[in-house]
Amino acid sequence: MTPPPESLSARTIVPPSRSSTGHGEASPYGREYWRSLAEREGLLGAGPEFPEGAEELTSVDRRDFFRLLGASLALAGAGGLSSCTRPPATKVVPYHRVPPELTPGNALHFATAMPLGGVATGLLVTSREGRPVKVEGNPEHPDSLGAAGILEQAHLLGLYDPHRARQLKQRGSPVGKEHLLEALTMRAARLQERRGEGLYLLLEPTSSPLLQSLRERLLRRFPKARVFATSPLSEANRAEGARIAFGRPLQPRQDFRGAKVVLSLDEDFLEPRGQKLSYARHFFETREPGAGMSRLYVVEPSLTITGMSADHRLPARGSDVQRLAYALVRRLTGLGVAPALEPLSQAAKSFAATPGKAHRFIDAAGADLARAKEGAMLLAGPRQPPAVHALAAAVNYALGSARGSSPLVRYLSPPAEVETGPSALRELAADLRAGRADTLLVTAANPAYAGFADLELGRLFREVPESFYLSLYEDETAPSCSFFVPALHPLESWGDGRASDGTVSLIQPLVEPLAPGFSEAELLSALIGAPAPTYQLLREHWRAAREDFERSWEEWLREGFIQGTAAEASAPEPKLERVAEAMREAAIRPEEGGLEVAFAGDYKVHDGRFANNPWLQELPDPITKLSWDNAALLSPRTAEELGLETGELVRLSYRGRSVEAAVCLAIGHAEGTVTLPLGYGRSGAERTAKGAGFDAYLLRPSDAPWFGYGLSVERLGRRRELAITQEHWGMEQRPLALELALGELGKAEERLSKLRGAEATLHQPVDYSGEPYRWAMAVDLNRCTGCSACVVACQAENNIPVVGRDNVRKSREMHWLRVDRYFEGEPDSPRAIAQPLACVHCEAAPCEYVCPVNATVHSDEGLNEMVYNRCIGTRYCSNNCPYKVRRFNYLHYNREKSPTERLAMNPDVTVRARGVMEKCTYCVQRIERKRIEARVEGRSIRDGELRTACQQACPSQAIVFGSLNDPTSRVSELHRDGRRFDLLHELGTRPRTAYLVRVRNPNPELG
Amino acid sequence: MGALFPRWTNSFSRAAGAVVLATPAAAIAGLMLYVRSPLNTGERNPVGQPVQFDHRHHTADEGIDCRYCHSTAETSPHAGLPSTATCMGCHAQLWNKSPKLEPVRAAYFSGQAIRWNRVHDLPDHVYFNHSIHLAKGVGCAVCHGRVDQMAQVQQAVSNQMAFCLECHRNPAPYLRPPEKVAEMDWQPNRDPEELGRELMQKLDVRARTSCTACHR
Repeated sequence: MTPPPESLSARTIVPPSRSSTGHGEASPYGREYWRSLAEREGLLGAGPEFPEGAEELTSVDRRDFFRLLGASLALAGAGGLSSCTRPPATKVVPYHRVPPELTPGNALHFATAMPLGGVATGLLVTSREGRPVKVEGNPEHPDSLGAAGILEQAHLLGLYDPHRARQLKQRGSPVGKEHLLEALTMRAARLQERRGEGLYLLLEPTSSPLLQSLRERLLRRFPKARVFATSPLSEANRAEGARIAFGRPLQPRQDFRGAKVVLSLDEDFLEPRGQKLSYARHFFETREPGAGMSRLYVVEPSLTITGMSADHRLPARGSDVQRLAYALVRRLTGLGVAPALEPLSQAAKSFAATPGKAHRFIDAAGADLARAKEGAMLLAGPRQPPAVHALAAAVNYALGSARGSSPLVRYLSPPAEVETGPSALRELAADLRAGRADTLLVTAANPAYAGFADLELGRLFREVPESFYLSLYEDETAPSCSFFVPALHPLESWGDGRASDGTVSLIQPLVEPLAPGFSEAELLSALIGAPAPTYQLLREHWRAAREDFERSWEEWLREGFIQGTAAEASAPEPKLERVAEAMREAAIRPEEGGLEVAFAGDYKVHDGRFANNPWLQELPDPITKLSWDNAALLSPRTAEELGLETGELVRLSYRGRSVEAAVCLAIGHAEGTVTLPLGYGRSGAERTAKGAGFDAYLLRPSDAPWFGYGLSVERLGRRRELAITQEHWGMEQRPLALELALGELGKAEERLSKLRGAEATLHQPVDYSGEPYRWAMAVDLNRCTGCSACVVACQAENNIPVVGRDNVRKSREMHWLRVDRYFEGEPDSPRAIAQPLACVHCEAAPCEYVCPVNATVHSDEGLNEMVYNRCIGTRYCSNNCPYKVRRFNYLHYNREKSPTERLAMNPDVTVRARGVMEKCTYCVQRIERKRIEARVEGRSIRDGELRTACQQACPSQAIVFGSLNDPTSRVSELHRDGRRFDLLHELGTRPRTAYLVRVRNPNPELG
Repeated sequence: MGALFPRWTNSFSRAAGAVVLATPAAAIAGLMLYVRSPLNTGERNPVGQPVQFDHRHHTADEGIDCRYCHSTAETSPHAGLPSTATCMGCHAQLWNKSPKLEPVRAAYFSGQAIRWNRVHDLPDHVYFNHSIHLAKGVGCAVCHGRVDQMAQVQQAVSNQMAFCLECHRNPAPYLRPPEKVAEMDWQPNRDPEELGRELMQKLDVRARTSCTACHR
């Protein structure tokens, strides 16, 4: 059975109806929203809930069918009997000696950190009987503030990954640890004679004080050794921009709490990871509707999470962003607010021609920034050239946000290496090509794959006589190095790192290594000639570094970081002549022929290192809603010009290299540019990652790592059916996420008041006021960025299975919580709005009326409960659910889990079997835990003490959970808020989850 | 020619009809009886253990409180089994040469845990919590029976949902002062219903029958 292709035309199921469904002028919400182009065109009418084929087995022929029939009959016979007999006898295995801190059956939480891209993010990891089961943010940590992004949360599953490398190998054959140490020692002895000449190290950028000191020691022993650090998604341009402006490389760090007007030039500062978690928290503190509400302008090539949150967004080609930045400087000096910027304005003169629409945008944004003065922030993204970063520094200084007593933008010395861009790799490649290397140690993430196509690092590594590669996986780089060394996962090794503000964070293992492995510190120490376990190295380092070590070590570990170690941040004065010079030198390419190619990191797999993570692969991309794939993203208009549609395969050729990729039409994408997300198309030993997407690194040249012209696109006439979830779980064109402009809010109060509260009903409503709690949730759409951290949190907390690409295509994904995103306006520059939606726990729940076996019922406190053991799988409930939040286990998804993956399961939540319906429970396991804890202590659950998994992960605190029977609770306050509305209120379901209208703060000049 | 079916066939057909109807009814009733019988529930079926541990001796004779060994009953969902170190806490001094304790000593010195056979096995979708039951005055013996009289521990009750609901619907007769929960032979000194109602008031007992109270 082949499901219909997901092209625009083929999805027509029912002719467009624009009358009574709430779509069109008759909409009670007063706006038109659409989820996809097909829906906008009216091609996506009322169709079946599931796509065709969702209920069928995949590729079963007649023979297999009868074989299965026989087997299932036999099983039914055996199963019928076995369900009436005792379960098999099991064992109880107590501890030999109970660890003093542990109570079997209760969770423990450990503070640790996750290093990524040179920043260590503080985490709290929940451990059950010695196995880590959930990753959350450390509320005290300056970067996390209690939130956890999708990568931080999902790296837990990486620990249990059955495809992780377990065996130390030399040229493909297994060897012992001693063999490696011997080889390292021998190499070191020979190298020492030559003072390290011929020793090359290609390292992962790190802010770890321990690793930095080891690298220094290494350089003392081998002064002629060459050390390089590289990261495929390098942020070197930031530091380079600061070098231009201030004369030394510095790391900017923003404090959004005082922001009034923010203009982001291709900077995705709301991306859910690392220090940006704290940015999101602080930024949304300024977004409370009211007089002081901040305004966000975004200029970017493809829609990002930050772009979705913007009040005004301008899609612009990557290389045009620089042009617009120059135009902005002209505008600011033209307004006369920043006369100091005159030299910059002169430098920008010859470049500052901008087309009409962009011109209006920059004019309005510039005037707004000028008015906001010290509350104005100009941000530049890591893909932009250093000159733009220097320009931003100068503008912020001139406007006042980067000077004075409490500047919003400060600079501190970078905690990690800054030279991580292509120049470092080019230098290394040149030396390797010249045959100068004799020993190579690689700890950087998969450089043979993620290095630049023109450097051919994989081939060059092969020519080095002895090379060592440390990695979690036997990936594309492993075959190029003579020694493959399996690495330890951050959750099973000791270490340290610095937060983005310089605070030292400690990494402590949650579990003994699941397989023998090494840490980078161990390898370096062996090379130095003093091999020692990481724990010993770490303690020795800090004993030498801090006087209070003995006293404070335990406290540091408990807190996860060392208080008061933040680096000194300053707001130096930029040297404007140098900025102007750099602006002049940074030649903007004149209009060139062909399409622009833009490379981008991926929200899910980052640079490819998380590609083998099933949670991340299955997570729909926050923007494209694409799962298990990447695709060449281009705007609908550009696609039309090229005659392409979503799912079509094309050959992308750029500078003589080519790759086959699927095309995906991206709403809000800039014209004339194609975004290629990196990190897919893997060919290493990672089996989950295999077959997902195409490898954009194959086109990435080292002299233009982010943008370039001359991409050609050739249609291949074949298709790849992408697993895009944006049209799954349709709600029949009823607009659900609401958005208003700040000015409209007052006028809309009355209309909104009709969208909440009880509707007239024949049923006697149940009175819950006598119960101790009346659980409810409130989701503030004004704070939701659509980042999907909540989806991963829910998946981890509730043992939600991963179903795989083919099943996602059949709409069988199991995520209890999905993030819908709607668009409004024209497809080339629409306004976007994200809406997380899980079971809303209706008080008058339509699912309950139709269940023939009472498998879904109400609890005394009004939770809509799902009783798995009663469920016989009729799916009537899902059919009758207007919110489409129920998920059915079509297959036995948990049976294929490897023994290690099973360790990641939350023991407080039932693992569901095939044929059972499931859905959001409001994290009832957490409610019951807290209830029992409170009742044993003889008190009630305090407001804020109990948080659902999604609420806990949310970086911007959009989700609030609590009891409505407590009028002072935060959730009660939000339910009383004037912005509250109930989803599909007209159906009278009385949902317990309330939504708060999103408020935009548009600039009247832009309309 | 006589009747094709003689008169007696009337009674025969009635009897046969009754049998035809009664057989499936009896079969269903039989199955229903079976699942409720100890044959299925595992009640009154002493379970052998790798160590010949005798609760009678430890509780009745020595007067050791249940919670000395099942130490997490008040703080955790699980009552917990004693670690080998707990056993050796006493048995390093007492009976330290007894051949019956050889498996314990072997486990202690080898670091290998003792693998006990499970007696009370609730289904995986049941989340029973010991701590709340103890805090609200449900005695150990209510569910576990007179363990102090068992040579080998056996399940004293059916452990089926009907058993749980009996108390969750009307907890009063099963309650006792929380300080007496571990007393095996505790008897109320007055009307248990009345005492129970008093305790429910005092301890704020709210036995819930919502599904998610136990199934998550």
